[in-house]
Amino acid sequence: MDAGRIHGVLGQNGAGKSTLMKILIGLVTPDSGEIRIGDQLVTITSPQQAADLGIGMVHQHFSLVDALTVWENVILGEGGMRLDRKRARQLVGEIGDQYGLAINPDATVGNLSAGQRQRIEIIKCLRRNPKILIFDEPTSVLTPDESEMLFRVLRQVVQLEGRTVALVSHKLEEVLHATDDVVIMRDGKLVASMQTSGTKPEELARAMVGREVKLRGATPSSAPAVSAAKTGTPGLKIEGLSVSSRKEGVELNGLSLDVYPGEIVGVAGVEGNGQRVLADVLSSLRSFNAGTIEVNGVPVKEGGAGAMAHVGIAVIPEDRHDSGCVLNMSVAENLVLAGLEKVSQRGVVDADTVRENAEKLIAEFGISCQSPDAPMWTLSGGNQQRVVLARELSADPKVLVAAQPTRGLDVGAIEYMGDRLRLAADQGVAVLLISSELEEILHLADRIVVMYRGAIIGEMPNKDVDLERLGMLMGGAQ
Amino acid sequence: MTTSKGVLTRLKLTRDQVELLGLYVLCVVLALAISALLIEFNGSSWTRAVEAIFDGAFQSKGRWGETLRRMAPLLIVAVGSIVATRAGIVNIGQEGQLLVGTTGAAFVLTKIQPGNPAMLIVGLIVGAIVGAVWAGIAGWLYYWRKIPIVLSTLLLVYLSSQIASYTLTRRQLLLNVVPGEPNRLLLSDVTAPKSRLGIIEIFGNKFPLSVPIALLIAVVAAWVLTRTVWGFRLKMLGMNPRTARRAGVSETRYGMAAILVSGAAAGLAGSMMLAGGESQYKFSSGFASNAGWDGLLVALVARNNPIAAIPVALVFAGLRSASTFLSVAGIEGVLVDVVRALLVVALFIPPAISELRRKRRALANLTERT
Repeated sequence: MDAGRIHGVLGQNGAGKSTLMKILIGLVTPDSGEIRIGDQLVTITSPQQAADLGIGMVHQHFSLVDALTVWENVILGEGGMRLDRKRARQLVGEIGDQYGLAINPDATVGNLSAGQRQRIEIIKCLRRNPKILIFDEPTSVLTPDESEMLFRVLRQVVQLEGRTVALVSHKLEEVLHATDDVVIMRDGKLVASMQTSGTKPEELARAMVGREVKLRGATPSSAPAVSAAKTGTPGLKIEGLSVSSRKEGVELNGLSLDVYPGEIVGVAGVEGNGQRVLADVLSSLRSFNAGTIEVNGVPVKEGGAGAMAHVGIAVIPEDRHDSGCVLNMSVAENLVLAGLEKVSQRGVVDADTVRENAEKLIAEFGISCQSPDAPMWTLSGGNQQRVVLARELSADPKVLVAAQPTRGLDVGAIEYMGDRLRLAADQGVAVLLISSELEEILHLADRIVVMYRGAIIGEMPNKDVDLERLGMLMGGAQ
Repeated sequence: MTTSKGVLTRLKLTRDQVELLGLYVLCVVLALAISALLIEFNGSSWTRAVEAIFDGAFQSKGRWGETLRRMAPLLIVAVGSIVATRAGIVNIGQEGQLLVGTTGAAFVLTKIQPGNPAMLIVGLIVGAIVGAVWAGIAGWLYYWRKIPIVLSTLLLVYLSSQIASYTLTRRQLLLNVVPGEPNRLLLSDVTAPKSRLGIIEIFGNKFPLSVPIALLIAVVAAWVLTRTVWGFRLKMLGMNPRTARRAGVSETRYGMAAILVSGAAAGLAGSMMLAGGESQYKFSSGFASNAGWDGLLVALVARNNPIAAIPVALVFAGLRSASTFLSVAGIEGVLVDVVRALLVVALFIPPAISELRRKRRALANLTERT
């Protein structure tokens, strides 16, 4: 990276951007290779050392203490015994004035918006006077105005003070707009490096999504099912769904989506564009500000616990330990969590039915466990996922939402999950597959929609998928 | 005690279980050794202390009846606390819920229709309701404003003793002024003789009906928690609130129900103490005398198992009824508290260690697979 320029680092999820940046600030130690700053060969082993070398980083997820004030957060982690309140507040003011990052030093961080929080992070970083500044997906929580503001600050830092900025991003437009040079990463390798001016978004998109995407197995051939189904009532119909909160800002922004019985709709998109919130809403874990959700034409009453499960929306959550299973309960218990009515009579759980149900599902889904009474935590990740899948499918759902269903699973388990989703669709379930792995979506989905900044911005059938356009959409270019 | 029974019937033991058992023995022996040292250090003899405990708890005439009588409130409080803990709620204000509940019961039992035996039932119900409402304040604060239940229940204990004291300064409430006595003793009138709990007598040991009622409550609670849909959902909520919410368990509804039940249990426990003859059927502001705190400890030591709470409550009650015998033997009451605390700590360590190991193993399991 040359001094005095803004460098964009572009790539999909898992391309290795974050790892590279973590190496630079000493959170990860490389197995081989060398890093030079100036002419000097360095090995960076800790964030402290990175700071001493003049490398500062603003993380995507803020590391601020909500209960403290702005100035307290800025000097947090500083050595020395004495707390110089006056100097710290003055410092916040000075840096704020200098870069147009005005913020009240006495405000409590918990009350601030995402944009203001990021200002604090930037002040924290600039205060150490770094030569190299790294920004990891800085605009993911910002409004367009706030992003614009941020880029102005970056420009100033680079042009007037000769610092170097690395901007890690997956947004094409932003990279084109704000950087001087761009490198594109894929699968942990640098695949392209170019000057930004004169580059077209198409080029970037192609490099980012890359090569002929290898399809595992045959292309799904359910075109007839789709065309037949599309005329009927959608199994899941989401319209104008919006979620926003004070702390996180707008998370879903008028999202509309239809899934017909018998098809798999894949939601593609780079992580952090609202996929998690969408899954949470469909798990009745979040409420929404506006919009409607219909299952088979019947609107879902929003709000209550289990409202979505009640109308037939089954979910394989992104993090099964978070909302998919109870680790301290037995396998048999985990298999009946949501369907207690079926295994109980007049409020009393029938242990025999629970056991029969467990034995049946364990056999059907090939769950390997010591016994139905074994605690859930004794199972491997893949088998825990099978338990979740078995339970959700045994409830005869109308809609199945699978959020990153194969994350952390081995090849065999991934294939099994894919087969099961396809089978569910063939049996007339409307399947919504939310995944940040493009290959998974290309492999499984009948129809692909792209999610960007909390909304669906494009759609295409899988059989005539246009990878270039897909890449553009994922990067936010319409 | 329940574990050792299980050991005998099922001779095959895993290495973990043997280790856990060994740890229990080691810790208890260690706690007793430290206790013995402390007693010797204070100029008493530990053999006499042991004798006094056995005498006071069950050997002397009528003592095991006394121990049983004291067991009842501890067990009921413990069961209530277990229900709350199942739902993931840490209610530690049983002492206050018990006191306020008993205040309500005392009013009914001393002031309303003294000749009517049905007032016993009304008094107990009122005691339970007042206890539930008192705990419900903490629950409401939590679900309305996210005020931690641990704090609010604890602080409400202090408020409760003020309320109890206040009712004992007003004649129209609970104060009983005995003619000819210049000092106000801040005691209530005795409860109406017609509305007292029946006394059971076996071999010269007397104990009130609250004892079988408490045992029944423990058994019913064990059944409800393990066999019913309500218990299942409570457990789900306690172990993973987000999964529970997705499966249709409303945190507010089930959590609130659990905290109300625990408050009601404490209120009922206190009311039955009064109706069962504690401090000669008279209510005073010190009436609770740590029954709430001890009940909480019983639940902790029993590791939130209502059936295991029965023997634990019995041991704690035994220590309570032995305390007068210990002071006769020249052992300070404070030392008894220290011994009890040492035992509690000793009983905590083994499960804590095994839990820690389990977590570490689960974590290793997890990282290995991903």
